[in-house]
Amino acid sequence: MMSVPNMMSNPLSDYQAPNQVSFSPYEFNGGTILAVAGEDYALIATDTRLSQGFSIHSRDSPKTYPLSNGSVLGCCGFHGDVLTLTKVLGARLQIFEKEHNKPMPTPSVAAMLSTILYYRRFFPYYTHNIVAGLDEEGKGCVYSFDPVGSYEREVFRAKGSASAMLQPLLDNQIGGKNQQSYKVVPIPLKKCVSMVKDVFTSAAERDIYTGDNILISIITKDGVKSEQFPLRRD
Amino acid sequence: MSILAYNGAAIMAMKGKNCVAIAADRRFGIQAQTVSMDFDKVFEMGPHLYIGLPGLATDVQTVSQRLKFRLNMYELRENRKIKPKTFMAMVSNLLYERRFGPYFVEPVIAGLDPATFEPYIASMDLIGCPMETNDFVVSGTCSEQMYGMCESLWEPDLEPDDLFETISQALMNAFDRDAVSGWGAVVHVIEKDKVTTKYLKTRQD
Amino acid sequence: MASSMSGPFGNSGPGPLWTGGPAPGQFYNFPGNASIPSNGAAQKTLSPVVMGTSVLAFQFNGGVVIAADMLGSYGSLARFRDCPRLFKVNDSTIIGAAGDYADFQYLTNIIQQHVIDEECLNDGFGYTPKSLHCWLTRVLYNRRSQFNPLWNTYIVVGVEDEKPFLGYVDKIGMAYEAPSLACGFGAYMALPIIRETMEKKPDMNQEEALALIDRCMKLLYYRDARSLNKYQVAVVTKDGVDLRGPIKSQPNWEIAHMIKKKNTGVRMNVVPYDQTVNRV
Repeated sequence: MMSVPNMMSNPLSDYQAPNQVSFSPYEFNGGTILAVAGEDYALIATDTRLSQGFSIHSRDSPKTYPLSNGSVLGCCGFHGDVLTLTKVLGARLQIFEKEHNKPMPTPSVAAMLSTILYYRRFFPYYTHNIVAGLDEEGKGCVYSFDPVGSYEREVFRAKGSASAMLQPLLDNQIGGKNQQSYKVVPIPLKKCVSMVKDVFTSAAERDIYTGDNILISIITKDGVKSEQFPLRRD
Repeated sequence: MSILAYNGAAIMAMKGKNCVAIAADRRFGIQAQTVSMDFDKVFEMGPHLYIGLPGLATDVQTVSQRLKFRLNMYELRENRKIKPKTFMAMVSNLLYERRFGPYFVEPVIAGLDPATFEPYIASMDLIGCPMETNDFVVSGTCSEQMYGMCESLWEPDLEPDDLFETISQALMNAFDRDAVSGWGAVVHVIEKDKVTTKYLKTRQD
Repeated sequence: MASSMSGPFGNSGPGPLWTGGPAPGQFYNFPGNASIPSNGAAQKTLSPVVMGTSVLAFQFNGGVVIAADMLGSYGSLARFRDCPRLFKVNDSTIIGAAGDYADFQYLTNIIQQHVIDEECLNDGFGYTPKSLHCWLTRVLYNRRSQFNPLWNTYIVVGVEDEKPFLGYVDKIGMAYEAPSLACGFGAYMALPIIRETMEKKPDMNQEEALALIDRCMKLLYYRDARSLNKYQVAVVTKDGVDLRGPIKSQPNWEIAHMIKKKNTGVRMNVVPYDQTVNRV
């Protein structure tokens, strides 16, 4: 809704000065993404809610985008920027594939995404990004980005509206933080999937921008497999 | 930056089976600069009653002292121990008296009823709007992180030992993702005939 | 305990990039930076003039239905009573617009010219709902990126490959597809009713769909001060676009005598619009 100046307080205000409604080129559309790198897989999960303020636009709008090279991009924040960024990235991958006759390796996708984001340093894409896939050795890899392109390879990362709720739990359960004599080993897929469902269910309890469903994408050498899991819808 | 986050704090309380726990970090800082790591934000208000005060450090100490004073007056006048719920009303009252120039603290209360030993936890905002729950309450600069941890780790009817482990893990992992709280923690587990206080060594960065 | 946010995009802006971090543009508002005009420098469509309100659309068994009333509001003044806000693009596509009416007319002219150009090529290609929605998203996003937005929300509906299509785009290029769409006040008042009805009756037929539209348009007329009880509705099926209207929904003011001015007991003198005005 746009704000209209209050006519009652000053009925002549329309005639005295140019009327200006503030324009903001950004909006926050919510959404949470979470990615985990395993030994021979990468997992990336997202909720499927698209919201704006207190309204829900869509209950079926996952924020993971399969890329043509077999990896998956998780992207949330301002949905207009998300749409544009995914289009730009998709086009750049196509160009690479035509020029080099092979799909771009996931670490290179991450490096390229960083430059694409930095290109808009002074009018940023308002997006939180994660790239999940397999590296050249077939090991799971997760790259997380800030909105202006600084990035890092990690084992697990939560991004988006409920990231502050999810990340400490991942530190504890996958990173073994604050657990004495805990040996950090790559997490088995089955355990990872059930944990992801648990943490998203927890986040949906407290974050109004996370809910409806989660879409879990599992990337292995055999391709991307997806499964859906319901969350609360209120 | 909010004045509530000027000194940094993380406090939570949890209900268990015939017990409650309250835990807090120990940091006192001025914005990003840590000044000391032995700062008390949880105060004993009776044998089974504790209050945690995250927020502006000066108000933490003022409020704790004014509360202790009012509590003493109450117990002298009534000649009996205060119920946690009554104490909550007292805190709420004290805060609302400063409705338009508030103390910058958002208290957490945990205790057992002096007669029935019924567990009780509550939290409130800086002008005294209370919230009583049956599971956990959190307050401080990393409340989102604490909610995420508590929502996943807490379960009903925890025994005192398990409650201690749960609240410690919830607090430590939450404040490790916050730059202005942490640097050690204290946990009080309140049972019918004992209170166990433990100081936790946590990461110092 | 969130920190307050303010940047070149105002207080209603997007909020910080990360918790406790800067809002976009907060640290680099250099003088003379063209991409972020200082307040007052911008003399573009940063404020709407003649406005249209809600557009409603949803799918039913065999097609899509879309509706919008015909009022062009000038601030709080109900200035124009005959503004069609649905635009038929071709036999499978129709768009509805809310927001600035001039921007809508500007864009419909462009779309119309595109349609003619495509027609001249005579290669059998033309806009599909999906392609038009995609194009609109790009146009609106580019305009917002130049800080010169087209102040509209568009709802594109149609039938493509015998499947219904409903797409939404707003003035900042935020777009999505969903089985039911609404903008403006309709998103708050009509959409919940539409979603509930669709959940209860998953295969509505055309009559039921039109009855639901009428109910919602009437509701909006009662409660949205910038609306009118004269509206257009379009039904898109695989057989083509059926654009109807103007339709006058008949409001019921019988309960109006219950409305009393507070404390005085004086009844409000409510005269229904239909009985006083027959001009268009």
